[in-house]
Amino acid sequence: MSIKKFRRWLDEPGNSVIFTGFSMFVAIVLAGILVPLFYKYGPNDFVGMPFERPGGEFLFGTDQLGRDILSRTFHSVYRDLGVAFLGVSIPFVVGTFIGIILGLSKSKKIIAVISSVIDGINAFPLLILAVALIAFLGPGLGSVVIILALTNWARYARIARTKAVVVSQQNYIEAAYTLGYPRRRIIRKHVSPNVSSETIAYALSDFILVILLIAGLSFLGLAATPPTAEWGAMISEGRTYIINAPWITLFPGAALCWSAISLAFIVEGISRREGKV
Amino acid sequence: MNTVNEKVNKTAEKGVDNRKVFAYRVGIRFIRSIAVAFWVTVIAFTLIRLAPGDPAQARLGAAAEPEAVEALRKQLGLDVNPLEQFFNFFRGLIKGDMGISLQFDREVTDIIFTALPVTLWLIGFSVLISIFVAIPIALFVATSNNVLIAYIFRSTTAISIALPNFFIALLGILIFSIRYNWAPLLGYTPSFPENLKYLWLPALVNATTLVAILSRVLYSSISDTLKEEFVETGVIRGIKRPRFFWFYILKPSLAPTVVLLSYIMGVMLGTTIIMESIFALPGIGTELITAVISRDYPTVQGITFIFGIIVVFFSFFGDLMAYWLDRRVKF
Repeated sequence: MSIKKFRRWLDEPGNSVIFTGFSMFVAIVLAGILVPLFYKYGPNDFVGMPFERPGGEFLFGTDQLGRDILSRTFHSVYRDLGVAFLGVSIPFVVGTFIGIILGLSKSKKIIAVISSVIDGINAFPLLILAVALIAFLGPGLGSVVIILALTNWARYARIARTKAVVVSQQNYIEAAYTLGYPRRRIIRKHVSPNVSSETIAYALSDFILVILLIAGLSFLGLAATPPTAEWGAMISEGRTYIINAPWITLFPGAALCWSAISLAFIVEGISRREGKV
Repeated sequence: MNTVNEKVNKTAEKGVDNRKVFAYRVGIRFIRSIAVAFWVTVIAFTLIRLAPGDPAQARLGAAAEPEAVEALRKQLGLDVNPLEQFFNFFRGLIKGDMGISLQFDREVTDIIFTALPVTLWLIGFSVLISIFVAIPIALFVATSNNVLIAYIFRSTTAISIALPNFFIALLGILIFSIRYNWAPLLGYTPSFPENLKYLWLPALVNATTLVAILSRVLYSSISDTLKEEFVETGVIRGIKRPRFFWFYILKPSLAPTVVLLSYIMGVMLGTTIIMESIFALPGIGTELITAVISRDYPTVQGITFIFGIIVVFFSFFGDLMAYWLDRRVKF
């Protein structure tokens, strides 16, 4: 894409916001790849005196055990964003699939039973269900992925089902049936692209929620636990020293805010593009 | 759903008065709530059985004596077949008996009823603050007709929804509790006017997200309402301002916000867990976390169940409110 074309693209409503968000997101992901690869200190190395101020040898300072905060902050990226990505993509695929099947299903009994299961799962706030399930699965980032896979699909299924019902009444679906295409092909080529455009939009805003959920659970000591380098856990570790050494909490907190805001910008830009404002 | 609406329309065509249609709709909605509540019960019941292996063994550890494990199984009601277990669980719930906590020698119901008011106070207070801030903001932005104001409004709200509230809470503590000592952190008192001293900061932190969400939805529904013909008619007829704002703009726009609010109150039950743990409030979230950490299964089960039921109740009530505000709402 030439620069001129890119400029014209930026001028369309919403695109500049998407671009800002996307660059912010790429920046943090790049930092999350480059710092673990090339930075001199590891996340759990005791490299300096405790509570060294930011600047000088340690750009972000050191924490209460003398570990380098810059290294820890960016080592968290693949944990936080990676786990969040898994925690969004599994429910996205499963939920969209179940929603489509439900939307196209003719059997009233199956629809009634499964949709009330979906309503039942959705009745619980995600955080409550996650905390409760951790009591039984034990803390850890792996449990969080399992929990999200078990529960979050229901939200996608509800959205996908509503959209699938609308799509299945469109003329092109009827045309495809008339042409004698098999059901599987109709679902794959005609229904799912139209339904997933809706669920992808939800998945993006869900990504923000899941990032905040993982950090929140780790903050409570229920997902990643110290000494793991993870933003929520780091904030939780640093809160005891927040008066004298606020940088221990501020840098992981800023990184968390940065990633969440970058995604929020992308979501906002997309909704502006679609003229929903 | 469609069939329900068709039926309602048919009854309306027959000339039956509004009151009956209303009662009919409320009845249908109530039956749906009961169905969801049933699944909430089933999920709360299944929770304990999702644990890998035997929950009693998991709690006591591998080195525990077989007799102790057997006794705990019996106490948790796991010694009979699953269907009977569910029946016992259900019968217990109806009698208001959710078992006895494994860590304290207290009934789970007792724990819930001492802790729940704190949480409800916090949520109520947060919602109250948010409503009083969100409505004027949304009205101002929607009626100003200024692109720049709308742009700034949408950007700031998008950011404030994405901010992690536990981080904001820590910043709030740093400023208001430590630097200025305006918000005490320890020693919550449950009586009414004094407890606001402890609740205002967590409620304010909750409100940062809530105001953004509410004002966005309200803004878009007010903009939709402003395009309606009856608003124009109102302007032409010269309706007095306060009356105009309430009956012509706000009342028809509030329905989506109320539905959302009832949903958000449920979500807030989740976020208050974090708020309570940061601000050391003895609410139901704190109880849940202590129960989770010490693997107190009956308490976790009971609290999860109560949360689910509260959400079902909120959403039922929210839908009713929405229908009362705007009869065009379908539910």
